[in-house]
Amino acid sequence: MHRYIERVVLAVFGLLMATVVVAQDRPKVVAVNYPLQYFAERLLGGSAEVVFPVPDGVDPSFWRPSISDISMIQSADLILLNGAGFATWVDRVTLPRSRLVNTTAAIKDQFIVTESITHSHGDGGEHSHEGLASYVWLDPTLAMAQAEAIAEAIKARNLAPPDEVEDRLQQLRKELEALDQQAKSAFSDVQNAALIATHPRYQYFGRRYGLEISSLEWEAGATPNDAQIAELQMLAQETAAQVLIWEAEPPVEAIEAVESLGLQSVIFPTLVREPADATYLSSFEQSVGTLSEAIQMRQ
Amino acid sequence: MNTLYLAFAYLRYHWARSLVLVIAAALILFVPVATQILLSTSQTALIARGEATPLLLGSRGSQLDLTMAALYFSNERPDPIAMREVDTIWDSNLAVPIPLHTAFSSGGFRIVGTSLDYFDFRDLTFSDGRGLSLLGDAVIGAAVADALGKGVGDTLVSSPENLFDLDGVYPLEMPIVGVLEATNTPDDQAIFVDIKTAWVIQGIGHGHEDVVTAADIAAGSEALANASVVQFQRITPENIESFHFHGSQGDFPATAVIVVPADTRSATILKGRYLDSENPSQLIEPASVIQGLVDRIFRIKSLLDVVTAIVAVAALAAVGLAVFLSYRLRAKEIATAVKLGARRGMVLRLLAAETVTLLFISGCIAAIGAALVARNADTWVGWLLSLGA
Repeated sequence: MHRYIERVVLAVFGLLMATVVVAQDRPKVVAVNYPLQYFAERLLGGSAEVVFPVPDGVDPSFWRPSISDISMIQSADLILLNGAGFATWVDRVTLPRSRLVNTTAAIKDQFIVTESITHSHGDGGEHSHEGLASYVWLDPTLAMAQAEAIAEAIKARNLAPPDEVEDRLQQLRKELEALDQQAKSAFSDVQNAALIATHPRYQYFGRRYGLEISSLEWEAGATPNDAQIAELQMLAQETAAQVLIWEAEPPVEAIEAVESLGLQSVIFPTLVREPADATYLSSFEQSVGTLSEAIQMRQ
Repeated sequence: MNTLYLAFAYLRYHWARSLVLVIAAALILFVPVATQILLSTSQTALIARGEATPLLLGSRGSQLDLTMAALYFSNERPDPIAMREVDTIWDSNLAVPIPLHTAFSSGGFRIVGTSLDYFDFRDLTFSDGRGLSLLGDAVIGAAVADALGKGVGDTLVSSPENLFDLDGVYPLEMPIVGVLEATNTPDDQAIFVDIKTAWVIQGIGHGHEDVVTAADIAAGSEALANASVVQFQRITPENIESFHFHGSQGDFPATAVIVVPADTRSATILKGRYLDSENPSQLIEPASVIQGLVDRIFRIKSLLDVVTAIVAVAALAAVGLAVFLSYRLRAKEIATAVKLGARRGMVLRLLAAETVTLLFISGCIAAIGAALVARNADTWVGWLLSLGA
């Protein structure tokens, strides 16, 4: 009996040590938004730890990392960037170029330019800042290009067996294609439907599926004030839109205020953060279903 | 024993003459040995730096200027190379490119804008503080810390590119966040910043007060600020968000790019791509450039050796003459010693003891000097090389 207990204790100790060693040996991948985290996790299949460093309640687009966050990111084996002007903190932080991957480098020609601000300094000439729409992953075909870039980086750095990564990429590609097909057919009857979004996040989504989405600049999940409601009313009259897209669940009074203008509210998470009880694919699929239903009902 | 005592007493009595003779003899022995030590250390240091840098990419022009600017952070100004060349190397998957931007200085030391990969590549470690994290951070070499008396928590201000460049380059105040361990290489004499910080100094990137309000953005209107917008000359947590860059990063300049190929095959493929003399960029092997420079130095060194030998012979002849004349002057003294009963051998022993004592003391001084030089050769050579640069 004594020997048996000894063996069990030794086995548990060995298992614990092995777990510690494996945890220490596992490479680390940092992703700047949830879609990149999701694709990396799918492609790595547990070969590496994938970290999304932005704390809850903070918009990843405008997150400012602390020195300890930067140290953690610098120590990662792979740092997945979204590009397209997303997470501008990367321009103000020193990161190891050898471990950076811009997942939209190959699709720059498909970026949507959103705004241009012109100014000058002293005697210098005028120059412009070009704004880019950042939420490229809301077009599944562009998300596929991002997943391919991640797969390439994982293989190049040997973070997982290349054959396995390729197999997982094929599977992910199929699922993204299916998602794209589903969205295409859902919106095929409502081409050029006019919609309003509470935030300018859906440019790539709108372009992909032929939807005219005008945007407001409302705080996600906040109740709009009277001026904002008036602005919405004016925009709805201009565009004849009958559906308002929220990026997060708004308060009940906000939905009521919008309904009083004759607009139907639809919640379409931008997926910049992990949705509750859903994945990128399931959340996107559900949002497409809800939105297409709302548009068809109104038509 | 008595002979040595008498010889030493004599030398001490004529201390001024003895001192001159000792210094002259010590210098004759010390100078060639010290020169030899410093030259061989320089040769080793020069070649080691070159050999530790596999390939160097830069604009076509003087290979020596490119090498000196990239390896020794010298004042040479090779034409800048566009950062898209760095991307081309990355895209080739054949090598790791490490850009260097060495156009600016602060407090007489070169500001080296680079990427974090440089610290791994040169195996640089910190004696204090941390590495580069934020735009504007500076990490200083050990010699910079000693010379400027600065450390973590202090600040540095970049110097204008030239006195007449009052509009183009704004001085930027940079906080020192780390001090490097001494390496006895030009890295000790450098101030390292992120290459993006170097671009901010150059005016390609800048931060300024808001020119557009949230209302402008909400209205979707194009904002135009044509008045002089105040630029920040210090990057702080409060204004860092306003810093941004203009244009495509591919067009931004670097002085040179260290290229670390994955293997020999990759190096050969890359070199082949830059053979075309029409290509505005060149990929060179710094080791061969440095070897050429060292060969030239050592051709001059053999000439120096001959000159040193001639000077040494002349100096030895002068010292010998001085000793001989002193014997002649002491003829009466020697005659008195003989009359007192000293034998000729005794007199010769006395004179020999004096000479041996003089040479021994000179030899000891020269040996101490040579040991001192040998001990500090790495540091002094590092300093001399950067001084020369």
